[in-house]
Amino acid sequence: MLKQILLRFQRLNPLLLTCMIALIVIGVAFVYSACSIREDPELRMLYLRHAKIGCVGLVVYLALAACPFATLLHWRWVAYGACLVMLILVPFIGETTMGGRRWLFGIQPSEPAKVAIILVLAQLYGHPDAKRGVGAFLVTLLVVGIPAVLILLQPDLGTAMVLVPTVLAMLFAANVAPRWVWSCVLIGGVAVGLLLGMIYAAEKADLTPEKREALIAATHLKPHQVRRLQVFLFPDKDVLSSGYNRRQSEMAVGSGGMRGKGYLKGEQYMLGYLPPSVSSNDFIFAVLAEEAGFVGSLTVLLLFLGLFWSGLWVAGRSQDNAGRLFCVGVISLLFSHMFINIAMTIGMMPITGLPLPFISYGRSFMLSMMAALGGVQSVSIHGRESGIRF
Amino acid sequence: MESGGQKQTSSWRIALLALVFAAGVAVLGSGLYRVQVVQNPSFSRDQLRQSVRRVQEPGLRGRIFDRNGICLAENRASYCIAFYVEELRKRGPWIRTIDAVNTEIDRLAAVLGVPRVISVAAVSNHVINSRYMPLLAWRDVGQEILARWAETQEVFPGVDVYVQPERSYPQGALAAHVLGYVKRDMPLPLPGERVHFFLPEMFGANGVERQYNALLTGRSGGKLIRVDARGYKHAVYQGEEAVAGQDLHLTLDVRIQRTLEQALRGLRGAGVVLDPRNGEVLAMASAPAYDANAFAPYISTGLWRSLNTDPHLPLFNRALQGGYAPGSTFKPVTAIAALIHGAVEPETLHTCTGVFELGTMRLHCWNTYGHGAIALRKAIEQSCNSYFCHIGYTVGYEAIRTEAAKLGLGQPTGIDLPSENRGLLPTDEWKRKQLKDRWRPGDTCHIAIGQGLLITTPLQMALLTATFANYGKLCRPHVARHAPESVRDMGWPADALKWVRTGMRDVAELGTGRRVRVRGLEVAAKTGTAEFDAGGVRRKNTWVTAFAPFEQPTVAMAVMVEDGESGGLTVAPIVREVLVSIFGEAPPEDAAAEPAAMPDVRGD
Repeated sequence: MLKQILLRFQRLNPLLLTCMIALIVIGVAFVYSACSIREDPELRMLYLRHAKIGCVGLVVYLALAACPFATLLHWRWVAYGACLVMLILVPFIGETTMGGRRWLFGIQPSEPAKVAIILVLAQLYGHPDAKRGVGAFLVTLLVVGIPAVLILLQPDLGTAMVLVPTVLAMLFAANVAPRWVWSCVLIGGVAVGLLLGMIYAAEKADLTPEKREALIAATHLKPHQVRRLQVFLFPDKDVLSSGYNRRQSEMAVGSGGMRGKGYLKGEQYMLGYLPPSVSSNDFIFAVLAEEAGFVGSLTVLLLFLGLFWSGLWVAGRSQDNAGRLFCVGVISLLFSHMFINIAMTIGMMPITGLPLPFISYGRSFMLSMMAALGGVQSVSIHGRESGIRF
Repeated sequence: MESGGQKQTSSWRIALLALVFAAGVAVLGSGLYRVQVVQNPSFSRDQLRQSVRRVQEPGLRGRIFDRNGICLAENRASYCIAFYVEELRKRGPWIRTIDAVNTEIDRLAAVLGVPRVISVAAVSNHVINSRYMPLLAWRDVGQEILARWAETQEVFPGVDVYVQPERSYPQGALAAHVLGYVKRDMPLPLPGERVHFFLPEMFGANGVERQYNALLTGRSGGKLIRVDARGYKHAVYQGEEAVAGQDLHLTLDVRIQRTLEQALRGLRGAGVVLDPRNGEVLAMASAPAYDANAFAPYISTGLWRSLNTDPHLPLFNRALQGGYAPGSTFKPVTAIAALIHGAVEPETLHTCTGVFELGTMRLHCWNTYGHGAIALRKAIEQSCNSYFCHIGYTVGYEAIRTEAAKLGLGQPTGIDLPSENRGLLPTDEWKRKQLKDRWRPGDTCHIAIGQGLLITTPLQMALLTATFANYGKLCRPHVARHAPESVRDMGWPADALKWVRTGMRDVAELGTGRRVRVRGLEVAAKTGTAEFDAGGVRRKNTWVTAFAPFEQPTVAMAVMVEDGESGGLTVAPIVREVLVSIFGEAPPEDAAAEPAAMPDVRGD
């Protein structure tokens, strides 16, 4: 039995595992750095919790990798249902932190929900008798829409938004109702363009204050969302209030230079210009880029690229179609997180509260992503014809 | 297609996604390259700008000494009770911190039993503009308050005794006008550096303190303070060290200065003592004076107002800034002009009838009976107006003006002190322009005897006298030892000069200036009494100029007293005192030689 399990682990994708562990180690190091100046000893010890959750995650990772992927698929509706129940419970008995009610018993249900959605969609498009027509598209809207609306209500726009590229990538890979998908992309693109255009026009054109208000109101966005988009469009506006984080994170990254200022020598977070409440999670990349410089941030980018490519390599090699799609979904989710997070840190995208996978401190997210990659390794181990050694 | 004919997800779609992700990573990589490498200098600069504050600290001000190394100005330790705002810092808007500081000041005032002196506005100004510097709530407190502070049982966080250098003049009011005083004001930032925080620094506001301010000030140093986002001090780096100012050595002699000031005490007047050989100012006094110590650290409003509204103008340096008609002390200039331009032979006699008539103008000699037949030497000795009107009229104004201008009248002497009065040496052109009248022979006559439109300062008259003493060589006057010396030769023939100098010696020996006589010292002098009409009241400014010893003069001076009796009566004793303080006086050789009573000195 033990021998069998060990044999299975021989077929783990080594690059996928290495990149992930490397990113977690980097994460522990920079969570330590970002929290080293906190006065609360519990917060100073955050890196230990990050490391612990990494260890727990690794056990989960290996356990899931050892499970046959079909077993994981089998439990998909249980996982999805459990997440849905938790999401429904959050508004009633959840804990409120930083402007959103997101936690339930110390976990964020929205994080495992993302993985559960991917699992459900993978089986939906990937099982041998899958229909890939308009019906599948509409089911997708339902499967994604219900948890997405619940997450939006928390409110957590970032987490809900990150589902869009992930699901689109899966729809594209499975070639589901391409005309519908492309039409949706087109409409969505136009809508986003229109939204930005309205905010841009409201700021630039010579409008009376009433008309400006009306234009902003027509976007149907919350005031803080409007401000974030304004800051994105006009970086110099309001650098002391709503534009503050963006300006300070950009300054941290920019002042890092080629080689960085050295580990534990980042001035932006140490002097508190980068608020300590965000430096260990959403803006951890700013800490890393300031201390490790361009060399360090490029290293992290390459580790992510290694992770993505090895994940897609697993997908490409798999004989199990649902497994393929699961890998595509998980990697797309990780890519979306990474891209949005780093892009917002350097001002290429509006500020959204999305963590950087494996590096940002965040237990639910970390555990969910490690479990998802465990699923990818399960595909790697079990998704191939037996006898083919990798 | 929509039914999905193929069971497998095509590999090209996965490969395309791999490419898209690689492209995404490349986009981020190039973005990071732009921010971290290309724009690095500008971000680094921005970051420094937001987190580094510069604190300027002045260098210690240089001291001032007299020629013998006696200290005239130094820095004393002034004990202040200071609040360190940093330690009283409250979270949130600055107004909370300002309130906290105000509360603490009031609490401490109650404990120390001293009234609060710093205003609420000053506190908020300090918190906003100078928060990394100590806030001096009580300056220059005495031992008693310091003792009370040391004994207080209550805890005052962020309060400490702060020692600040303060200007002090150990000789009190001595040479106050020459030294000037210092004021505190916001300093100028160091060139090319943005300074965020500083305390008021000392500036010379008058006298040598102002003239040599740059030398005395030294160079300000700075500290760089790293502050965090909430404005707390994070780290301090010593920037450039402050450099102490240089000490300044003056040509003044405290002994002579003190004698001169004591002699002038209670009067309104001024005196300047020069070394004719090099232009060094040995003493310069103006009475009444003031005590410059009152200006440090800040002069009280009341005292400042009273100094400024005092009708006797104590802040006014009469020696340098006062303009007065020189009266008969000008006559040596008329004499030398007439001699070198050949208008008069030294031995030629002129008959003084007590009045000099020129056309319709009648000018009285002080001796209403007239001096009779009189030649140059005697005319100087007796200060005969009639004689000098005659020779002045004969030689013409142009010759007198030329010599007077060569002696520096009507222009600044170039002394190294600020705000010098240039006086007035009128010309025909000037009179036409200012008084809308042509030059009349009467004007020449008046100026020949030092009256009329002529205006001089005591310093100018001292310099003029020094030039006669130094055999026609004029040395630019100066008060700093290191000031460059410059000598100008008047080009006067030796015999003409000899006649005038001898005449001046006779003034001291036999004539109007007999009261300057010092036993064992050969003195030359000239007295003067300038009458003028001040709003219908006849007033007199009285002068004596003198130099000694006669053959090898080392001292030349001019002393002027406003509203005196006459030069010979009022001023001559002052000059004598100064001369005695410099040269001492031989003991009386035999009592009989001493005149029983000094004959009444009349006139000038």
